Amino acid sequence: MEVDVLVLSVALPLCGALIAVAWPRRCEVVGMLTAFAVSVAAVLTLVQVLVVGALQHEMGGWTPGLGIALRVDILSAVFLVLVGLVVLASSVYATGYFGQPREKAHFWPMWLLLLAALNALVLSSDLFNVYVTLELLGLTAVSLAALSGQRAAIDAALRYLLVGLLGSMVYLAGVALLYLGYGTLDLPAIATQIESEPIAWLALCLMTGGLLLKTALFPLHFWLPPAHANAPAPVSAVLSALVVKAGFYLVMRLWIDLFPALLTPSTGLLLGIPGAAAVLWGSWQAFKAERLKLLAAYSTVAQLGYLFLGLALLFQLAPGPTRDVLFGGIVLMALTHGFAKAGLFLAAGMVQKRSGNDQISNLGGMAQRMPVTTFTIALAGVALIGLPPSGAFLGKWQLLSSALGLGQWLWVIVVATGSMLAAAYVFRVLERAFAGSSQPDAPVAIAREEWPALLLSAIAAVLLGVGSGWLWPLLGNDI
Amino acid sequence: MNTLSWSFLDILLVIALVLLAGAALRARSLRQSIILFIAFGLVTALVWARLRAPDVALAEAAIGAGLTGALLLTALRNRPSEESRLVSNNGMRWGGRWGNVAITVSVSLVALGIGWAVLYGMNDTQSGRLAGQVGSALELSGVSNPVTAVLLNFRAYDTLLELAVLLAALLGILSLGGGRATHCTVDPIATSLRGWLVPLLILTAGYQLWVGAHAPGGAFQAGALLAAAGVVQHLAGRAHAGLPVGAVLRVLMVSGIGIFMTMGLWTFLGGRGFLAYPQRWAGELILLIELFATLAIAVTLILCYLGSEPERRRITPAGSKP
Repeated sequence: MEVDVLVLSVALPLCGALIAVAWPRRCEVVGMLTAFAVSVAAVLTLVQVLVVGALQHEMGGWTPGLGIALRVDILSAVFLVLVGLVVLASSVYATGYFGQPREKAHFWPMWLLLLAALNALVLSSDLFNVYVTLELLGLTAVSLAALSGQRAAIDAALRYLLVGLLGSMVYLAGVALLYLGYGTLDLPAIATQIESEPIAWLALCLMTGGLLLKTALFPLHFWLPPAHANAPAPVSAVLSALVVKAGFYLVMRLWIDLFPALLTPSTGLLLGIPGAAAVLWGSWQAFKAERLKLLAAYSTVAQLGYLFLGLALLFQLAPGPTRDVLFGGIVLMALTHGFAKAGLFLAAGMVQKRSGNDQISNLGGMAQRMPVTTFTIALAGVALIGLPPSGAFLGKWQLLSSALGLGQWLWVIVVATGSMLAAAYVFRVLERAFAGSSQPDAPVAIAREEWPALLLSAIAAVLLGVGSGWLWPLLGNDI
Repeated sequence: MNTLSWSFLDILLVIALVLLAGAALRARSLRQSIILFIAFGLVTALVWARLRAPDVALAEAAIGAGLTGALLLTALRNRPSEESRLVSNNGMRWGGRWGNVAITVSVSLVALGIGWAVLYGMNDTQSGRLAGQVGSALELSGVSNPVTAVLLNFRAYDTLLELAVLLAALLGILSLGGGRATHCTVDPIATSLRGWLVPLLILTAGYQLWVGAHAPGGAFQAGALLAAAGVVQHLAGRAHAGLPVGAVLRVLMVSGIGIFMTMGLWTFLGGRGFLAYPQRWAGELILLIELFATLAIAVTLILCYLGSEPERRRITPAGSKP
């Protein structure tokens, strides 16, 4: 009998969370084992999808519509692997980051619930079930963001909570409308019936609006920088790399799989113009940021902008190889940013922990004191700027060539300016890091915290670029 | 009553709902706001009952009005010396009057849009199709109450994740609630009520749990009632609100999801698919899941109300089950 490993991606972290709650003294071991097992399950799912194609598991054995189905295709499988690896690396890092038993007992159960929520969201193909996963994701993310208990973190987390709840309510209103109109919640079933009519349009607006609020697309990004910059480092990494990306993933799914009947080529501009503004504003704010973690958070705002800008171009292209290639490019950019930003946040956490703060002006001598961490930041920077051989280089290249192919050179200017600003903010950090301090300290090396960050950055900067030749054609088949 | 007086009652309910909502938003103190919110919840429960959704009505009355109200009042009590602070008439601090106008306009636009889309775009033949599917599959589900069938069989996976949402909310509260004093002032009325209210609540909770298989009721309502028993205990001076401590408490917290996962993995590894109950035992298995879900929900709600885990040394021998 063939086992549907995709179920394990949700079941394992849920079980892990239960054990971690009930057995706080061993929560770290349970957490690590679970994170490892989930990564293995994600890779196995990807392999299974590559071998036999898209898979479906009907929960409770009921046909989708009456029941709920989990579905996995190559896109969701790739996201599962992204989630698994980033969470695994951040978990290893977290074992060194959290020292107090009390901190650990609070961190691990919520961390595993967050992992369950991310995987459940990626796999769900039922619109109401997606809402439940969004709620789980939102609540765990907020609780983790507030974990330090400092005033700034709690303020930011409270705002994050309110924004997240508003976003899910608005999304849910859209789902209710679709149910009213089409009598089912199963995504593929609605997709076959949907027509360009008021109820569908309003649902599109509400669902997208709610998700954009959660994805922090400019100008709805106001809550993101304080929340991400004040969270504990492993949490920041996952929030920036995965949690906001989950919103993007859903918008992409809905626009490509559910609402294509409504979309005209110019509808995508509704995403593209805020996306372009996000690139410029986010990069500029990152350049001006005083703190390393705030820089990383604003850079997330900008990087999300590229993804939405890419979607705007995608909807202007007719189905065919050009569109497939651009789609692959967008996914590649999303993956690269996920790995790179996680690496950058983990590295920033190291800096903050060793020197007490993460002021960029205080980074002097870091290259000597923390060589591995500095290298991590440099590699993440390569990916954020979009230099070769990172995956983002190929993605941006595709973005530019699509824009030129469509004769829309304004996008080219936005992407070029954004990349220039990214280079500026990355080199601003590196310039400080390499500036010699008067008394060079002995280098510190903490493998448990340094290597996960370095590996994540290396995947973003090298592996995704080099391996894209293999990944890219697979992604194109998806739409 | 005839149709005319029912529709008169319905109109009154709708007017009361809108007026209470407006009054709760515009109330001059937070305490007034909360009390109006509780009244709003009770009227909402009546509206649900009139819409022939007794399950939702029960849940709304127990959780929406009862426990949420208790939580809000506790939150108010724990605000140091700010209890009587007046809320400015503009309410929202973001952007004052213009912010208010913007919010009102955008909410009205969305409401109008929804109304328009529903009136203009609704497809009569489509709506209710799922209800038909549920009806025809009902006899396979092991229970005869369609709501329970959906919540614990057809869409049990949703309910599983919702229990996880509850757990996440509780963990979030516990991770923040460190410094809160758990002592409580003894309310003489609550003390005299406790003797008969707590057994009554426990009994009603048990009835709700049992009856859920074929009539409105179920784990969420039963859990809320059980939690109410705990809140009464706490008001009557029992600091731990009838909860156990330590490992037992932590196991109870996760028992709802635990039993769900056990069932799910059991059927999954048995090759039937996740949470695909064997049809012969479906009714019994659903009752078992609901039993533990009730306990977990009750413990979760009481802990949310307390704000932190009760301490070990505060055990008193008289502590009954929650």
